[in-house]
Amino acid sequence: MATVLRDVDLTVAGGESVGLFGANGAGKTTLLRVVGTLLRPSAGSARVLGADLDTDERFTIRRRVGMIGHNPALYPELSLLANLEFSARIAGAPVATARGVLGDVGLGAAADRLAGEASYGMQRRVEFARELMLQPDLLLLDEPHSALDPSAVELVEHIVAGVLARSGAVVVASHDVARVAPMVTRTAELAGGSLHA
Amino acid sequence: MTSRIRRRWLDVVAVVAIVAALVFALASPRVADQGDAARMLFIHVPTIWLAYVSFGVTFVASIAYLITRKLRWDLIAGASAEIGVVFTTVAIIGGMIWGKATWNVYWTWDARLTLTAVMLLVYLGYLALRRAIADPEARARRSAVLGILGLVQLIPVHFSVTWWRTLHQTNTFRPRDIQMDGPILAALLISVAAFTIVYAALLRHRYALAHLELEAHEASVAVEGPVAGDAVSAPTIGSGG
Amino acid sequence: MHDRFWQQALAIARRDLDRERRSGEVAWVTIPFGASALLLVPLAVGINQDVLGRIGTGMLFVVVMLFGVLTAVRRTNLETPAQRDAITLLGVDPVAEFAGKTIASSVLLLLFEVVMGVVALTLYGLDLSNWGWMGVVMPLTAVGLAELGTISAAIAISIDAGPALVPLLVTPLAIPLLLGATQTVELGPDGGNLSWLLLMTAVVLVLAIVGVVTARPLQEIR
Repeated sequence: MATVLRDVDLTVAGGESVGLFGANGAGKTTLLRVVGTLLRPSAGSARVLGADLDTDERFTIRRRVGMIGHNPALYPELSLLANLEFSARIAGAPVATARGVLGDVGLGAAADRLAGEASYGMQRRVEFARELMLQPDLLLLDEPHSALDPSAVELVEHIVAGVLARSGAVVVASHDVARVAPMVTRTAELAGGSLHA
Repeated sequence: MTSRIRRRWLDVVAVVAIVAALVFALASPRVADQGDAARMLFIHVPTIWLAYVSFGVTFVASIAYLITRKLRWDLIAGASAEIGVVFTTVAIIGGMIWGKATWNVYWTWDARLTLTAVMLLVYLGYLALRRAIADPEARARRSAVLGILGLVQLIPVHFSVTWWRTLHQTNTFRPRDIQMDGPILAALLISVAAFTIVYAALLRHRYALAHLELEAHEASVAVEGPVAGDAVSAPTIGSGG
Repeated sequence: MHDRFWQQALAIARRDLDRERRSGEVAWVTIPFGASALLLVPLAVGINQDVLGRIGTGMLFVVVMLFGVLTAVRRTNLETPAQRDAITLLGVDPVAEFAGKTIASSVLLLLFEVVMGVVALTLYGLDLSNWGWMGVVMPLTAVGLAELGTISAAIAISIDAGPALVPLLVTPLAIPLLLGATQTVELGPDGGNLSWLLLMTAVVLVLAIVGVVTARPLQEIR
């Protein structure tokens, strides 16, 4: 086990979108998971959406955080629609909106396809559909352009714009500076476990 | 030398106590019907008592960890469980030797022996779980849950096996059949006290060792050391033709 | 318990059962494997009908218990880290998650028990006089094993040795269920089986309490 993040000082205000860059292994994904309350920092302090991440307050904000990581989180034995409906049931969102949202992301005709039979790009779109449906206040994106065609890239930008319009915040981790640039208001570089932004 | 003795005072007391227990055990009168074989009582009973104490400490320390998130409680839980497994093994072997000498069989489906075997399996699982996880925090959390589940669930296991043996009683191994004269009872109590002091000494040492292991682990991920990303550099092939 | 508790629990149960329905693992793999285990026993101990009649109920619940362990092992591989992260960020109540998984496993285990019961009756020629008690014993066994399996799988998740560890974690702690189930049916009310039934009920309650109390710490395991 090694230290991944050592000296991180990051502030993101509502309405801001921060692009997080760094080499492979720099700790971008780890930082996103800490901010997303999935990992507890071993030292230091952090407040996200008003909650202290070192206390049980972090459980109260989870529903307001959306995260799309490297690996799709769909259940392969369920259809694309069933996966989205499941998310809606757990999150307390109206289940009836799932089919419409799936259509909004261009997967209306593939709603009944099993997730295990869908391409990686299609599964990513379902995850974007989930965030469209749940409308998080903090959106964390890890390599969002991976395996997306140009129309899906516009979808990502639309989702980011929606979060910012609601005075939410976005953090995008990526290697692809050029593609991320249109959707961020500023950038930060993670190097040597250290970040100041 | 004086400070070394001061640090090891508990070890000294434990050795003295064990020697005293041995003397009293050998000096106690022989038990009718079982003869010298019954002296296994002075090992078997204390070791099973300490097994229960050990796992009880693991249980309490596990709860303390989940409440406080202080790793020292996990270290205590793990150390106590290790010692408990040793005592349980000794108790089983002692019981088997006693059974062979008294009933000419190494194993009977006596409730207590069966329960002890089950308890050993439960905490072997606990130790196996701890061995399988390198990260101290991850190990602590999972072990704490198992440390609680193990003891809590052993209560119904105790009742079920005891009732079952009551139904199926055939060739029963009955330690309580031994007549407890005063000198034998005294020797037994001294054995129990001696083994308890040995447990405390072992726990102290094992906790200290676990603490050193934790410090070594924390030093390896210390602030001054490299971060994980330092191991990644630019590839040397495919750049600049 | 909040408003959405049962909505979440039932959604999770439904998810697991839908996944099982599609994969068919219990129906097409576990049940036939259980049946072959019950078939193997007489080949090993002999086909004396008196002996089989005496051990049949016990063997049935041994097989149920061992396959309860398999269900728990399967559960350690059922969710990827990404899926666990996603459901955590949906704001799932950890106790609802425990309840949902337990409900799903209970249904599958009960199905397994019923089919194995029929197989055991056929192969072992068992005395049916106390089998009415199976109506209570089987559900209790299913729920108890499901609770134990859900907790054990959560403890062992994401460990390389997890699938190997789970059997060792579950089996010794399932003994009261094994003994309780067998004794309740074999003894009948004339033999005083109510205390065994109470013991099983106590075990199910104890495991439920442990599952509830430890649900949050287990959800935080990454």
